[in-house]
Amino acid sequence: MVTFVSAGVIGLSMGAQYALIAIGFTLIFGILGVVNFAHGGFYVLGGYLAFTLSHVLGVPFVAAIVLATIATAAIGYVVEIVLVEKYVVDHLATMLITLGFYQILITAIVVFYGAEPMDFSFPITGSLRSGGIFVPYSNLIVFVVCGAAIAAVYWLVYRTRYGIALRAMADDGPVARSQGIPPATMFPMAFAIATGLAGLTGALVTPMLALDPHVGEGVLLKAFVVVILGGMGSIPGAMLAAFIVGLTEAYASVYLGGSKGALVLFVLVLVILLVRPQGIFGTEARKA
Amino acid sequence: MSILSIESLFVRYGGITALNGVSVEVRQGETVLLIGSNGAGKSSLINAVTGLVSTSGGRILFEGRDLAGIPSAARSRLGIGYSPEGRRVFRSLTVRENVLSSTLGLSRAAAEENFAWACSIFPLLAERAGQPANQLSGGEQQIVALARAVSTLPKLLLLDEPFLGLAPVWIDRISDAIRELQRRGTTILMTEQMARPALKLVDRAYVMRGGEVRRSGDVAEIREEALAEEYL
Ligand SMILES: Nc1ncnc2c1ncn2[C@@H]1O[C@H](COP(=O)(O)OP(=O)(O)O)[C@@H](O)[C@H]1O
Ligand SMILES: [Mg+2]
Repeated sequence: MVTFVSAGVIGLSMGAQYALIAIGFTLIFGILGVVNFAHGGFYVLGGYLAFTLSHVLGVPFVAAIVLATIATAAIGYVVEIVLVEKYVVDHLATMLITLGFYQILITAIVVFYGAEPMDFSFPITGSLRSGGIFVPYSNLIVFVVCGAAIAAVYWLVYRTRYGIALRAMADDGPVARSQGIPPATMFPMAFAIATGLAGLTGALVTPMLALDPHVGEGVLLKAFVVVILGGMGSIPGAMLAAFIVGLTEAYASVYLGGSKGALVLFVLVLVILLVRPQGIFGTEARKA
Repeated sequence: MSILSIESLFVRYGGITALNGVSVEVRQGETVLLIGSNGAGKSSLINAVTGLVSTSGGRILFEGRDLAGIPSAARSRLGIGYSPEGRRVFRSLTVRENVLSSTLGLSRAAAEENFAWACSIFPLLAERAGQPANQLSGGEQQIVALARAVSTLPKLLLLDEPFLGLAPVWIDRISDAIRELQRRGTTILMTEQMARPALKLVDRAYVMRGGEVRRSGDVAEIREEALAEEYL
């Protein structure tokens, strides 16, 4: 029982991270129709920015995370306008562009920081122990911050007119434009929100897990799994699927051993997709 | 004074000429009908005005201003409201969100005020406010599309085949809604294939076929001709 609760808290904490990554990924796909292969890169970038600010420049950790989030959002905004915008209707082109940007970004990081893992650690150590329950404080903090960020995104997307416009754009782009919703401001804003969320997650999570130039690849893969499971383009789907994935991994690694987590996860995903090929919250194939 | 002047407009899709030098005028306060069967070019004309299709000749003047080069979203903010053929409500949005979706250019207070105004014209909106639009019937969706188009209080309302696929009872209700908008001073350019209900609503009509205007005139003149043709 005690192990069950501890693993559950860790699973929720991982689910919250996956949710932040996947919400951004699915937001970009739903609104721009772009599969952002650079998404993991913004996670890595968030990590390196937070590391540089806090460990090299001596900025307090909390401020470093806030600044890293803002910077990744701003960089995402510029990337959308400069690289993606012009080719947004061409799916193959945007895949190649985002993949190319990812390669350039990672190569630049290797050039500046080297390929070795950074010694980036969470400033708060120790664990909450009570009644045999054992949860690292870092996991709790990640869970609370990611949870707050999820709530903020949810509010933005479902409670503001800006969010209405974003979802209208995802539903039917041409009609949205005809109703006064300007793609020229909505697209880069959506991209900035999404990359900012990836940057925040990277800044928050890499000190707990690992920071090296290639941690973004696993993150992108996880985002794919979550988004396909939840239904491409669906934000509620991404949230739910992220927690399913996080909890499955946590419980599988506790009860079946670490290496079985991925196996159980992929079997689960396969089974769900056999029953619902469009994902949990997905609608049938989108019109072209 | 003309609020909309379309002068010798051409629209082409690859090799297909959908509009072949069409001229149409809409004056302040009137309701004008484009009537013609499927493929006549009605939607192409409407969407040349919304900016969703590009033109390859001619001019579109809105309040005397050439719309060339103005993006679709900006045209909406100039005062052009649009209810698309087939309604195309935002399916995953609620009824209220659909109506508010066009109001991004207004203050929050103005948007809420206009939503309340739309509810006063179309009581259905208040009853169904929180329901996803894809759960509504075709007629109800047409009301939502109309409300979405007028919630910005546009100077010109473009209405593409509002009766398409609707049962007679809904054609009557949509007609009543259009009359209510007319009473409130809305200028309308609408298209229809169904001459009989549409001609009851309008001041003037243009008969289109094969991308050209074949006839135009006030309702009395067009009614006889239309009745003689197969548009009924
Ligand atoms: N997107 C498009 N691509 C190619 N041809 C089109 C397109 N839209 C309309 N057309 C053609 O243009 C002509 C006019 O169509 P349209 O303006 O939709 O007429 P209407 O609204 O009167 O039915 C038709 O021949 C139609 O097949
Ligand atoms: Mg049409």
